[in-house]
Amino acid sequence: MSPSPDQPPELRISEVTLRFGGVTALDRVSLTVAPGEICGLIGPNGAGKTTLFNCVTRIYRPDAGTITFGDADLTRARPHRIVRLGIARTFQNLALFPSLTVLENTLVGAHSRTPAGFTAATLGWPGTTARHRRLAAEALDILTDLGLRDDAHRPAAGLPFGTLKRVELARALAARPRLLLLDEPAGGLTHAEVADLGGLIRRLSTERGFGVLLVEHHMGMVMSISDHVVALEFGRKIADGEPAEVRNSERVVAAYLGKAS
Amino acid sequence: MSTKTVDVPVEKPAPAGRFPITIVRGSGRYRAGQLGLVALVALLLLAGASAEPFRVGQFTSVLIFAIAISGLNLATGYTGLLSIGHSAFFGLGAYTTGILVVSYGWEPLATLPVGVVLSFLIGVVVGLPALRIRGLYLALVTLAVGVAFPELVKRFADFTGGAAGLVIRARQLAPPDWTGLRLGQRHLWLYWLSAVILILVLLAVRNLTRSRVGIAMVATRDNEIAAAASGVDLAVVKTAVFGLSGAITGLAGGLFAMYIGALSPDGSFTLLKSIELITGLFVGGAATLLGPVVGAFAVVFIPYYSADLASGHVSGIVFGAVLILIVFLMPEGAVGLLNRLGRRIVRITTAAETGSDAGRSAAHSAEKEGEPR
Ligand SMILES: Nc1ncnc2c1ncn2[C@@H]1O[C@H](COP(=O)(O)OP(=O)(O)O)[C@@H](O)[C@H]1O
Ligand SMILES: [Mg+2]
Repeated sequence: MSPSPDQPPELRISEVTLRFGGVTALDRVSLTVAPGEICGLIGPNGAGKTTLFNCVTRIYRPDAGTITFGDADLTRARPHRIVRLGIARTFQNLALFPSLTVLENTLVGAHSRTPAGFTAATLGWPGTTARHRRLAAEALDILTDLGLRDDAHRPAAGLPFGTLKRVELARALAARPRLLLLDEPAGGLTHAEVADLGGLIRRLSTERGFGVLLVEHHMGMVMSISDHVVALEFGRKIADGEPAEVRNSERVVAAYLGKAS
Repeated sequence: MSTKTVDVPVEKPAPAGRFPITIVRGSGRYRAGQLGLVALVALLLLAGASAEPFRVGQFTSVLIFAIAISGLNLATGYTGLLSIGHSAFFGLGAYTTGILVVSYGWEPLATLPVGVVLSFLIGVVVGLPALRIRGLYLALVTLAVGVAFPELVKRFADFTGGAAGLVIRARQLAPPDWTGLRLGQRHLWLYWLSAVILILVLLAVRNLTRSRVGIAMVATRDNEIAAAASGVDLAVVKTAVFGLSGAITGLAGGLFAMYIGALSPDGSFTLLKSIELITGLFVGGAATLLGPVVGAFAVVFIPYYSADLASGHVSGIVFGAVLILIVFLMPEGAVGLLNRLGRRIVRITTAAETGSDAGRSAAHSAEKEGEPR
């Protein structure tokens, strides 16, 4: 990683435990995403990957353990503060706003950056309108970069799954994240598209200077773009290290036995 | 609302043939259209004012209803917070005006801001449960507020006149001198006052819903978790929207007190009023700018004409049947339907979208006029 003048903070998850009734979805999980690195997070279905994302973004609050991003304690923050601290995410099963256009969906992502005041908005204050325009122009640039320019003014409802996946990515980018959490971004894509997506994530991360925590089942993609890989199984961490090292670890191979990898 | 993809064909950008006609926002044609619209509204209002006094009164109640429904629209239409308690805001505004005029001798017009502020504050308080509960549970809380209001009016009879009601003397409701209207022209004063206030309210709603705050409101309605993960402070959006929503409906209540002159708790401030407002909203088109205006016409005139067709309870049944038919034929409301059809004929775009000169700087989210979302 070339040291950038303005390095993103480090995400440090330590000893996080979360139970759902009798199920221990996360069992004393610790991992660190170094500034600007791409960290792959793998594991069979039900391993707790999405649950870990939900703990970082405060949709859930861990029963025990701490999560910090730089100096900020994420377990104490309110959900909308997380992205303001610089952590944006996408969702495994699309969480878009169907009645908004693609551009508007992307604009919601910028919500974390500048306050949108009720009073000024109701009165149609020129400053508010000008800021809206600026952010919209910026959002259009992101959409162009992701090949979504032609869909900008279409409502999200009705667009194909693959397109919507990219709209979620656009929305996350609009927040100018320092760390991006991607939950199975390649789900539903063809092989060629998966390879493209891997390259895109790598490029965006370097160009825009953010780290990535990447959950993905496409092992080829994870191994090729990650600086570091963590494997979970039944809520426990079973491997953590260089991609090749994790891939060949006995416990990881055993966890994936019988599964295509 | 589902986030799954639906197989709805997307509107195609300008197929071969004449329609839709594309109009660029800010262009000469767009300006001409805006001017034409202003002229049309002015003409309609003048025509309304020249009708016989009874009709003018009916139109005034349409305008007042349109304001009340516009308030409800912010919470229920745009933000998805179903309220069955808006009759309480309507009543709060009305009683604020009534009490200040009758007991304290205030100028009616001066009471309106007081009712607005009170309704805003109560709206914020009623909106607080929305931070923890959603959907029908929230609706139940608002229902309780709607049920409680007439009871509170009766309980504080010293203040409100109780079940017997509160009567504002006609002299106190006379048009102000500066209008040049006589006492006998009170109906015209209220008609124009309501019209001006409705226009101001619609402009405010339009500004708000087209802003990023408006986008955040719809995002909150569509998917709360994703909205919060994008930085939308749900607590602020929900309480502020509920406050604003209550304030606007309260404003309509104040006008209503000036219009009707006699208030009674079981008259216009029961749950039935809430149901009327909700009906108007969905018939006209939730989350559309002009839906509340069309809906207000429906709730004032459909019962009036169905009373012609049948009498007593039967007229209520006719009213209900007509409403069911309307909702069945136009699930997105009248304005929602018109917007959809209208977009086949006229498409309003931004310069950036058509790739013309103005380019990037004019890039602006292309929300069409009063489009439902
Ligand atoms: N909201 C919830 N309520 C109950 N159990 C849950 C909930 N979310 C996840 N789980 C359980 O936690 C475990 C981890 O799930 P998840 O994090 O979705 O796995 P992954 O994303 O790795 O496939 C599973 O056993 C799942 O059933
Ligand atoms: Mg998952």
